[in-house]
Amino acid sequence: MAQSDNAAESFELRDPDVRLMLEVRDDNAAAFEELMLRYQNRLVTVLEHLVSSRDQAEDLAQEVFLRVYRSRKRYVPGAKFSTWLFTIANNVAANARRSRSRRREVSLSVSDGSSSGGNQLDQLAQAASGLMPARQLDKAEMRDVVRMAIEGLNDRQRMAVLLSKFEDMSYADIAATMDMSPEAIKSLLSRARLNLKEVLEPYLERGHRPAAE
Amino acid sequence: MSQPSPHERRGELEEQFVGYLDGELDAPNAHRVEEALAADPHVREEVWKLEQTWEMLDELPRTQVDESFTRSTVEMIAVRAEQELAQAAQLIPQRRRNAWLLSGTVVACAAIAGFLSVLVMEQRADERLLRDLPVIENFEQYREVGDIEFLRLLRERGFAQAEVKHGN
Repeated sequence: MAQSDNAAESFELRDPDVRLMLEVRDDNAAAFEELMLRYQNRLVTVLEHLVSSRDQAEDLAQEVFLRVYRSRKRYVPGAKFSTWLFTIANNVAANARRSRSRRREVSLSVSDGSSSGGNQLDQLAQAASGLMPARQLDKAEMRDVVRMAIEGLNDRQRMAVLLSKFEDMSYADIAATMDMSPEAIKSLLSRARLNLKEVLEPYLERGHRPAAE
Repeated sequence: MSQPSPHERRGELEEQFVGYLDGELDAPNAHRVEEALAADPHVREEVWKLEQTWEMLDELPRTQVDESFTRSTVEMIAVRAEQELAQAAQLIPQRRRNAWLLSGTVVACAAIAGFLSVLVMEQRADERLLRDLPVIENFEQYREVGDIEFLRLLRERGFAQAEVKHGN
């Protein structure tokens, strides 16, 4: 008990956002708005790349802030504020994906079911190597290619990559956010980065989209 | 303990390279990767590609929400908070009713328990009276005796039995 009290005090001292959240706990509306302003762009950015939709990302971000507000009275600092916030975001996004996949299952069950199987990453690599004209990529095209590569990762790899890239989180913080061990995160990020390399390497080596065979 | 397969070994090495790039290796492991980088051009190329493809992710756009997002979020939360307050207020009479019901039940249980204990105690008192009935019936005679030692003496000599039989 004393140990957790010490941890809470330590986070309170080190993390100004934890202090703001403690003010939110005491019903300080201005503190809540300040936290929103600090995190809304970061949160929507991660969520947008996670669910591949700006509108849905904003809806989910609102849900995350609502959950933060609702749980304010029970808030005890047990981690950095950003870790706690993105843990909520991860849960909210996972719930959204589950309900979306349930809807997709329903729609697939009424369609002809002629979807092609196979590894999505292989398909992405094929798209990269076979279907695009041989020329220098401009910024917008590069963005599309990178976005495609990110979308080719599975959900957990994508979340770990986004937290590492955009939030600059350590393996320990990503592990806390995703309820996994740091060792598992090390392995997850390693596989994710190898997958990204597989898709992005053709653009890296030649600086252009390879010619059709 | 079996040796790791070449595939597993490669996986471990790749984890070490990624961990090195992320600054997550302890000093001995980081040193081992640095030695491999210095000694092996293939490792250098592999790590360079990992680093460069990671940097390509910087091309991903950072979202900038507009003011309407902030405003609508704050409004949405304010509306939900009001709804929750209203729901809580609606629940108060019901909670009071529940509290009254609970208190009533407790009082009724206490009354039943009290009645039962009185009943049991009365039964015990009656039983004691029944047990003591022979004494009560002969109370006047016992009182006349006055000394219990005298009674014992009579019993030893057989007078008391005869007296009691005679009395009955």
